[in-house]
Amino acid sequence: MSTPRVTHTLEDNGIAYLNMVDVQGKNIFSHRFVEEFLAQLDIIEEVNPRVMIIRGLDDVFCGGADKESLMELASGEIVVRDLVISERLIHTRFPVIAAMEGHAMGGGLVIGLCSDIVLAARESRYGAVFMTMGFTPGMGTTTLLQELVGPYIASEMMYTGKRFKGKELAEKGCGFNYILPKADVLAKAKDVALQIAERNPKSVGLLKYTLSARKKKLLIDARVQEDLMHTISFGYPETKEIIRGFYAGS
Amino acid sequence: MTKDKVIEVIKKNIVDNLDDVEMDDIDITKSMKDYGANSLDIIEVVSCSMRDLDIKIPRSELADIGDISGLADKFMEHVKA
Repeated sequence: MSTPRVTHTLEDNGIAYLNMVDVQGKNIFSHRFVEEFLAQLDIIEEVNPRVMIIRGLDDVFCGGADKESLMELASGEIVVRDLVISERLIHTRFPVIAAMEGHAMGGGLVIGLCSDIVLAARESRYGAVFMTMGFTPGMGTTTLLQELVGPYIASEMMYTGKRFKGKELAEKGCGFNYILPKADVLAKAKDVALQIAERNPKSVGLLKYTLSARKKKLLIDARVQEDLMHTISFGYPETKEIIRGFYAGS
Repeated sequence: MTKDKVIEVIKKNIVDNLDDVEMDDIDITKSMKDYGANSLDIIEVVSCSMRDLDIKIPRSELADIGDISGLADKFMEHVKA
């Protein structure tokens, strides 16, 4: 049996962990990775924990789409599996905490955007890197990133594709709940999770339903525009060239 | 443009992008990794420096560079006189 790419852990205190542990693939959305991510999320949803923490590797939280998906998109196919991740996270019945100790890029950053509480590390980098590969942002980024960092910083992140250091984002005063030294991120995430786990779980679920309504709508709004933009921007011959150039030599 | 000038640009971007590194601390015979840079920090320092120097070098040409001096040499091949 091959090494798992995503695992889950359940604690007696009602905290569930979704662990992205694909060391070899650096937590990018390969077919297998997404499949395992969704399967592990299924298991957690079955258990219905009080709160869930999403973790990545020490150096990479999640790297977003893989080359294969991008080339599929560029050849006009619709790659549904990555999109399902945003959808599924936003529709969970329990609060989700993203403990982004390592870098989060593109769709990887979207995992944070679809969470209820977001922690980042001062040393790591966070980028909406879509445009560096020549195509427009997806997975809900166009509306959800504004929610997290504010519209102007979101514009800068999306237009430039710059990989911002957590420290820089902290100085900009973004909406992250915490931007801490990497070594402290998980402990803080657990602390917040424990506080949530102590509350009446039925009321927490009710509150989640209400608070997530806005995000569900934002995701739907984003998808209408983003899917249209993808159809156009992946159709440009320049986009294919930029993607190929980006992965040249890798 | 002299190599010293190029090194100065690289050093400025190292200081901007890494924690707790001062201009005067940087030894150009060392790698950025020696100053705590992760792979994305290095990409950022390189791309900021290329923007400052108004040059563009394909990623594949930058893959095997070991130290800061080597990076400056590579940049020197591309800077306009």
